Formats: sequence, structure tokens, C-alpha cells
Amino acid sequence: MNITYSIDQVEAVAKQLISSATSKTLLFYGDMGVGKTTLIKALVKALGSLDNVSSPTFSLVNEYDLDNENIYHFDLYRINDLEEAYNFGIEDYLDSNHWVIIEWPQIIEPILSGDECIINLSIESENKRQLLLK
Amino acid sequence: MKEQNIYILGIESSCDDTAASVIHNGKILSNVVATQKIHEAFGGVVPELASRAHQQNIVPVVHQALKKANISKEQLHAIAFTRGPGLMGSLLVGTSFAKSLAYGLDIPLIDVNHMQAHILAHFIDEDGFKKPPFPFLAMTISGGHTQIVRVDSYFKMTVIGETIDDAVGEAFDKSGKILGLGYPAGPEIDRRAKLGNPKAFKFTKPKVDGLNFSFSGFKTAVLYFIQREVKANPNFIAENLNDICASIQYTIIGILIDKLKLATKETGITHIAIGGGVSANSGIRQALKDGEQKFDWTTYVPKFEFTTDNAAMIAIVGYLKYLEGDFALQDVVASARLKI
Repeated sequence: MNITYSIDQVEAVAKQLISSATSKTLLFYGDMGVGKTTLIKALVKALGSLDNVSSPTFSLVNEYDLDNENIYHFDLYRINDLEEAYNFGIEDYLDSNHWVIIEWPQIIEPILSGDECIINLSIESENKRQLLLK
Repeated sequence: MKEQNIYILGIESSCDDTAASVIHNGKILSNVVATQKIHEAFGGVVPELASRAHQQNIVPVVHQALKKANISKEQLHAIAFTRGPGLMGSLLVGTSFAKSLAYGLDIPLIDVNHMQAHILAHFIDEDGFKKPPFPFLAMTISGGHTQIVRVDSYFKMTVIGETIDDAVGEAFDKSGKILGLGYPAGPEIDRRAKLGNPKAFKFTKPKVDGLNFSFSGFKTAVLYFIQREVKANPNFIAENLNDICASIQYTIIGILIDKLKLATKETGITHIAIGGGVSANSGIRQALKDGEQKFDWTTYVPKFEFTTDNAAMIAIVGYLKYLEGDFALQDVVASARLKI
């Protein structure tokens, strides 16, 4: 899946992403300011959660409610090594069978299974973004 | 509760740091954050019984807090701990430890909401620091939080505004990252802002209704601005760094002050208490002072060590709850998403 979209199309893109996803673990790659958190906001809403989605850069993980499951929203931007991820229990979350959405997942790549959905976001122009789903 | 000398141990493990503090009535006797030195004082790093940092830190940090306070654990009246919000794995360590210690000593256990604690840190007895009268507005500004809370009494609090995306500390840190400064960049931006012209560059303030905040768009605006300018002049950042920092800080503080003005207008409350790491920013402190002159505000900023994540604020809430006899049972569980 490869789409170019503008900010007002983000909700439609989120829905399309959910129907194309082959895993409940989603890895979001892309530079700062590309709109990862913005797309995840729409994604959480499309999954049916009414919770407010904010940036987990400091908290590392935010949790949102669905009827019978949780969404764990990670941002690993500020962690320095895999050890720190082990320290807060990243494996427990990855093995949880809940939705796990991760921004800046580079640092934990060595412990990922390879079955996760990979989403690459890039800037096409100031108002357009490109999404590539693997 | 007629007892005169109450000693309470507070334990904080919601995020990165493991911390412990002992309070005697309202006065802090010790306020300790885990560091390598604590392990040395305890006799070397506690062996790798567990992989998680909090598990390695908690015993030495509590030991150190009691030692600095010069009391034994048998003198404690209660154990207070952070129940949430925070990282589940981190919270579990503090919760389990607090439960076991309270059970072992046969004293009350007190659960504390980390966000309430940031606000109630203003009630720690500290020479030279005044306490806000009820009702007051509390603004918590840090790397993880941006919130305005109406506080009617110790435990009657209502969130009236919060960020819908990034926290204010994140706006500082990520702007700094764009400029090539280290992370976290808040203190460096503050330092340079004092040397620059705050009106050199203009950034649009995000338009968010009511008392909520948004900083995600601001970060992107800084990014595009820098990219555009660097394209025209590769030395743009180096040549204008102080002015850029001053302009960024000026805009962010403007956003915070605008919302505070609106909050005081809507509530009629003019006592404003600030907490969280960003309260150390010299620009925000000056803007609050100006607010005292211009808008007749009375503002309160606690001692810095009580504004960042710390255990003293957990201990003071423990003390206030102890006076009310508000205790937790042994079946209390950590809650990653605890709200005010």
C-alpha cells in the first residue's frame, strides 16, 4: 500500500491502514514533524477508542481503551538503548496480543519478530504526506 | 488523629527515576533519587536479581532516604506510593514494594496520584515558599504534561485544560533537536533566549479552542521555518541561534500565558500555582511576575527539587491523606492511566 494524502484525508487513510494491516503491532517510521502522532490519533479513533491521544515521547507509552482490549501507543524517541526498553517491560507489551503502535521503533528492531506491519511516512510537500505500508 | 509527630515514607517509580522521601509532618527530611552513588553507599550495586532498573534501585534508595532522615523504618507511620499514572512495569515495582513494607511493618498504605502530587507539592513546608489558598489554578508544565487544573481543596481537583498532542517540554526539546541542540534542550534554549531578540522571528500560535493546548503544529512550524531558511543560507542556524531560541521561547510562553489569562477570566481565580520541570524556565517565571503586575495575579512556584518527578511530593500527599485517614487496602493495584 502506497498513498499520498493531505491532513484532511487522515481519517480515511487510518481506516484504510486498519483494513490492510496484517498484524496488530504497527511500527511507524518517519522524521520528526512528518505526522506520525497525527495519523495515530486518527487510527486510535478509527479502532473505536474515545480516548484522547497525546504524544508519549516523555511517558514512553500511553494506553487507550477499546471494548475488550487495549491500545498501547509507544514513542521510543528518547530512549538510548535496548536495555532501557527491557527495563520498562517492552516484551510484556509486545507479547500482549493487544494493539501495539510504536513510533521510533529503530532501537528495538533486534527483538522484533519480523511479522509487524511497517509504516513509512515521508514529507511530499508542506501539506502532503506519503505513506508506505509493508 | 491526635498524634503530633507523623513520619511518612513516599515512594515514586512512575517513569525513569526511582525515588524515596521521608516527611515529618509537613516538612521534608530527605528527598532521594536513585543514582550510582546510592548503590555505592549501600555497598555496591544490588546484584542482578532482576533486570529492571527500578527493582535494582528501590532498596538502596529507600535505605538512603531513611538514613538521611535519621530515622528507622520502625518509626514510620505510613507508606505512600505512586499508584499512577505512569509506566506499568515501573509502577508495579513501587506498588509491590510499598505494599510489602507496609504489611511487614503493619502500618497504613497510602496510594497517591502522581498528577495530584505535582500540585500538592506546593503544600510542603519550606522556608521562603508560600502556599496557595483555595481555590487556585495549578498549571503543570513538563516534558510529559501540560495541564491547567482548578483546585478547590486538597483532593477536589478538576482538569480544565490540557494538551491534545505534545507537552510543552516536548515543544522545547524537539525545537532544540531541530536546531541541533542536545536532548533535552529546554535549559539550553532558555540560556540562549536571554541573549537573543524574542521578536526576531515570528511563529504562528496554534488555534485551539477553550483551555486546551496544542504544540504539535508549533514543532512542525519551527521545522519548516528552519528548513526554508537553511536552504537560503546554510549558516542560518549558527548565525541566528540566540534569536531563534528567544523567538521560540517567546512564542511558547505566550501560548501558556494566553491560556492562563483565559482560565483566570473564566474561573475568576487569580491565584496561580506552577509545577513541573518547565517551571524552572526563566522566561515563564518572568512572565508570571509580569502577570502579577498586569493582571493582579498571585503566583506560586515551589522549590525546584519538588517540581520535577520526585518522592517528596508523594510523601506530602501521604501526609495529607494520613491526616484524613484515607488509606489503601492491600489489594490496591497500580493504574497506568490514573486520572486526576
